[in-house]
Amino acid sequence: MKVSPATGMNRGSGRLRRMKPERVKELTLIGIISLSVVTFGFLIENYLSGRFFNRVITSVVIVGILAAGQALVIITRNIDLSVGSATGVAAYLTGDFLAANTSTGPLVAAVIAILVGSTLGAFNGLLVAYGRIPAIIVTLGTLALFRTMLSLYSGGQNITADTLPDWVLQFNQVTVVSFGDFDIRLVSLVAVLTGLGLHWALARLRWGRRLYAIGSNPEAAKQAGLPEQRLVFWAFVGSGAFAGLAGFMFMARIGTISATAGAGLELESVAAAVVGGVSIFGGAGTILGALLGASLIKTLELSLVRLPQVSEFWRDAVLGILILVGVLIDLALQRRLSRRPIAAARSDSGSSPPVTVGEHSRASEGAPDE
Amino acid sequence: MSESAPVLTMSGISKRFGTTRALEDVSLILYPGEVHAVVGENGAGKSTLIKIMTGIYSADRGSMTLAGQKVSVSNSAEAQLLGIAAIYQEPLIFPDLSVAENIFIGHQDRGRIVNWDAMNDEAALLLAKLDLDIDPQILAASLTVASQQGVEIAKAISLDVRVLIMDEPTASLSAHEVNRLFQQVRSLRESGVAILFIGHRLEEVFEIADRITVLRDGRHISTTPTNEVTEEVLIQEMVGRDVSDFFIRTEHPIGERVLKVRSLGRQGVFEDVSFEVGEGEILGFAGLVGAGRTDVALALFGVAPADTGSIEVDGVSVRLNSPRDALALGIAYLSEDRRRLGLSVPQSVTANVTMATLKRYTSSIGLLDSIAERDDARGLVEKLRILTPSLSTPVAQLSGGNQQKTMLAKWLNVNPRILILDEPTRGIDVGAKADVHQFIDDLARSGIAIVLISSDLPEVLAMSDRVVAMREGQIRGIFGRDQATQERVMTAAVGTA
Repeated sequence: MKVSPATGMNRGSGRLRRMKPERVKELTLIGIISLSVVTFGFLIENYLSGRFFNRVITSVVIVGILAAGQALVIITRNIDLSVGSATGVAAYLTGDFLAANTSTGPLVAAVIAILVGSTLGAFNGLLVAYGRIPAIIVTLGTLALFRTMLSLYSGGQNITADTLPDWVLQFNQVTVVSFGDFDIRLVSLVAVLTGLGLHWALARLRWGRRLYAIGSNPEAAKQAGLPEQRLVFWAFVGSGAFAGLAGFMFMARIGTISATAGAGLELESVAAAVVGGVSIFGGAGTILGALLGASLIKTLELSLVRLPQVSEFWRDAVLGILILVGVLIDLALQRRLSRRPIAAARSDSGSSPPVTVGEHSRASEGAPDE
Repeated sequence: MSESAPVLTMSGISKRFGTTRALEDVSLILYPGEVHAVVGENGAGKSTLIKIMTGIYSADRGSMTLAGQKVSVSNSAEAQLLGIAAIYQEPLIFPDLSVAENIFIGHQDRGRIVNWDAMNDEAALLLAKLDLDIDPQILAASLTVASQQGVEIAKAISLDVRVLIMDEPTASLSAHEVNRLFQQVRSLRESGVAILFIGHRLEEVFEIADRITVLRDGRHISTTPTNEVTEEVLIQEMVGRDVSDFFIRTEHPIGERVLKVRSLGRQGVFEDVSFEVGEGEILGFAGLVGAGRTDVALALFGVAPADTGSIEVDGVSVRLNSPRDALALGIAYLSEDRRRLGLSVPQSVTANVTMATLKRYTSSIGLLDSIAERDDARGLVEKLRILTPSLSTPVAQLSGGNQQKTMLAKWLNVNPRILILDEPTRGIDVGAKADVHQFIDDLARSGIAIVLISSDLPEVLAMSDRVVAMREGQIRGIFGRDQATQERVMTAAVGTA
């Protein structure tokens, strides 16, 4: 790490302290994933097989892509609960189109799915950014709305694999390179590259940094003259686009698409993002973290199934527990990072509660017109 | 100074909020390279003025001229483009972003791809120029308030600011930090920036300002070069109103001391606060915003307990760790912030009045006696002359004065023995104010001990039997009725030599 001219030596710069908190979170996740793989390796016979690895990776793909889009929105201090429904709509409409136009190739199909998802995301974005309606309400509404529209459109008819072009069924198996039994599939590669692309954009592009700024302190963002509404709108479009891509992958993976396709994925995407260190309070977290969160969740889920002692019903509980642990760690980290109230800062003691009533009163003593 | 052309001219600015007049025909001229202080009591219109300059409010009347050109500012982005920036008492930083990002996030001219190395280097240079020892790569959340302000100043410099507004920037700084801030302000002044400095501590104003403007009740009172004015004159100009405009408290006997506070303190907020209040007495608390008066009240109500000192009620030492403890001893607190801490505005008048006393209306099986609830609410509504269409009207629909009275009704329903009133008349109209004053007097005569916190100095003087002046978390004087003049109390509250 580069040492800048103004760095003070008196600041006690240990390496851990200098490391960005999101790096710490990412490394911790890699550690936990490795630990659980090793543990399951002892508990389950024949666990570390290529087949199982391939299964985990291909199922991580969908949740991972959704988690990346979800992270984009959560970083701005919003949430998108409609991604599961959007995935379903994108999968179904794309499948429908393919069934009618069997000569269509994968690239065009993916573009269609992404366009469908972006349109739905734009609808959310309009209501949240320009309608000023809380994201949780808007997307809870569109979660149901998108799904209902899909049910009406489908008329209860499933799209079955035999009506789709042949490439669809093989798409999930396309392998770029193999190491023995371990395959690197095209879908995984696409997911990882898209995710890393977004990760880079958030870290290095102006609009990416501004998304963090908005989530970190909306009031200050406004004061700094950032185009807050436009940025939040596009974050939702982005989340929709990723849901569209996930819909495409879903279609290719399952082959048969019903009107309930993708239901429940919204919860998994939020879980993956939060477990991956994306702060539910906005302003912090990375796409890489969200992808790792998705990997952890899917690894645990698919591994627990193979433990005969663990009932199937526990899988949802594990998801819930992971979300709670993720949020708790996030809270603890924030307190650690001394996001302290002004009143406490004045006394210069680090261990104060995050919010005191005294602080409210001080802030409000100046409002609204002195 | 006057030989150079003004950088910013505000002329004839007026602004109203509902019936409240915040600014009336205020004019102000800023020259490049001057520190221009604006002083005045709370409510004098200082904040409104700077909010108009930064585009948060728009003026009802009047105009703004920047470097000879008439401008209109409708949001802070526009103000920034014009070279007007503001720094507040609580810095508006992005806690999750690095220091360098905090400085440059609003810049439009740095390309679409972030060049971290260049950004960190430039930030380091800016910070070094301000003599600040801050690592540009560190998260802003981990900085002290003083350093966060430093970052904001660096941000302003990076935007080539022409007018820098500093709204009570020293309020949460230590003496050492204030010195450093003033050095930065002086070097900005030398580089030709016009600085509008809003300050409460007069000694600081005298130290840093070239000219001083006094506002009072939304009007411009005077603008004078610092070396041609004395603190006494300033204080007189700041207070200036007559106590006789107010309701005068009736004479009455004061009974037993019900509340005794000894050396009360909460670390970093207030310290060594001692006073006593008797039955039927009104003890006024004067002081400026942030002097610690509300914090003392919150300690007495158990919201933010004190960590040193003792509190005695009726001669018995008590511990107040929650509002429940306080209410059980008959201590009630009328919050200054009625929307956040006092009222549930979507709920009805009745629900608000009985909120703190629901137990009284609850039968043994847990059902609420809503008839008794309404009867009590009706009684209080009539007694306090609360104007409401009905008892079931949501409080949100009432005027500010009637909301305030509703909150008073809620605490009266508790039948308190000690009532703490925090800014009971702020933001309400004259008629409602008189009602509230009359009512406070009635309460005192019925034997309730009253602690009255108000930033409206004439109000405190008119209503109180004794006046406590607080500044920076400490009591700076306790005045009997005959000693408490505006000048004396104000002097103790703003802390001049």
